[in-house]
Amino acid sequence: MGPITPLIQAVEQAGSALELLRATAALAASGDAAAAPTLVEVLGFNNPGAAVAAVDGLIAIGTPAVDHLLQLDPRNYGARAWAVRALAGIGDVRGLELLIEALLTDVGPSVRRAAAKGLGSLQLQGLASDQRAAVEQRCLEALLQGCSDGEWVVRYAVAVGLEGLAQGSRWPPDHHDHRRATAALTQLGHADHEEASVVRLRAALALQRLTT
Amino acid sequence: MTGEPISEAEALERLRQSDDPSMQYYGAWWLGRNRSQHPDAVPLLIEALRQRRPRDVGAGVEENAVARNAARALGKLAPAARAAIPELLTALEDPDDGLREAAARALGELKAREAVAPICQRLAGGPAVAGVQQASNPRLVEPCEALLEALGEIGMADLAELAVIEPFLGHARPLIRSAAARALLQLSGERRWAEPLLELLRHEQLHVRRAALMDLGAAGWRPAADAISATLAENSLKLIALRGLVEHGRGEPGDEALLITMDALL
Repeated sequence: MGPITPLIQAVEQAGSALELLRATAALAASGDAAAAPTLVEVLGFNNPGAAVAAVDGLIAIGTPAVDHLLQLDPRNYGARAWAVRALAGIGDVRGLELLIEALLTDVGPSVRRAAAKGLGSLQLQGLASDQRAAVEQRCLEALLQGCSDGEWVVRYAVAVGLEGLAQGSRWPPDHHDHRRATAALTQLGHADHEEASVVRLRAALALQRLTT
Repeated sequence: MTGEPISEAEALERLRQSDDPSMQYYGAWWLGRNRSQHPDAVPLLIEALRQRRPRDVGAGVEENAVARNAARALGKLAPAARAAIPELLTALEDPDDGLREAAARALGELKAREAVAPICQRLAGGPAVAGVQQASNPRLVEPCEALLEALGEIGMADLAELAVIEPFLGHARPLIRSAAARALLQLSGERRWAEPLLELLRHEQLHVRRAALMDLGAAGWRPAADAISATLAENSLKLIALRGLVEHGRGEPGDEALLITMDALL
């Protein structure tokens, strides 16, 4: 019996929403990779407070949690939505397909928002350069599509994602894709194209950070 | 009522006919939701606002359903819907408190200065009169939350108005206290009126914390940024509140600091 077994048991035996929240927070705080399967299970319990705690725990565990997250049943919509947030926070490239799908097709703005941010913060340092370029290309295409999302908060997150992607990529300033990213940010920063002034401000901040 | 996507022309047509109120109800909603700029939209909505009818229990339709939705839509069509202000002022005197609520919100969104005096009159009795619960249902005698919020939105402060609002800070219902503090904060910009809202961010009930988030956002009270960020509620609502601070607020924290706070909640 490992040291986290009692913490896992406490989650499994929680009798009320509050008990589940407390037990999940305690398990999440362990940071132990062995907690990942149980934390992923909590994502499907329809308890938002506990799911937030589980997402935090999964992000802290990081890479070892990714396989468990990717194995979730796609029909379990609630759990998948939380998994997108966890994958966006972890930044593991194996989450790429799920993040793209979430940004372009998910019905929940909060899920699309998390996916957009995640697509700008994937950890690509370990990849071979051609592989890395291919992933960056996929992220860029998805984020460019996300610029026309109907929800301001998703477009806001797309601006953040584009900044992160351009910042983290090895594109020189005159690179075709760097220009496409900055052109998209310029549009998001312009009142003719973007109605929400907070999105325009965020896009302007991204451009300023990318050009100085 | 159908949720099928329809065109603007179809929405106008549904509102124009009068055989089927549920079609009118949906048409009115559509025009507001999509912020229709069509020249017929406002006149048709004014016409619909005049259409009062009692609640049809059998059909499950609320009292004055079309009129209420027309009022809500007119609020969304600000400033083009200013022509509707006289009709909304009449609706503010209607016996149906649900219609008065919708009219008050619309007058707030239209920033109708003409509405300040009649709204203050409705609230003048204070929590023990205007704010007392109706005998037959849980609603208050006056739609206090909407009336208070409208005063804050219209934003024309005088001392008499502040004196009408202030007693509602002592109302038994936290959402009424929140609306009162928001209006006072919007009208005066004084820090002391932010304190009740900051306290409500820590209220034990989630729906109260949500209301306080929305109210701080509407008031654009920037010093609340960290407290908003730390509130136990969905990030979606905290982001809406912080957007309010960016777009309606001034001073410290500055734009960039607020945006960084928002980024962390995505």
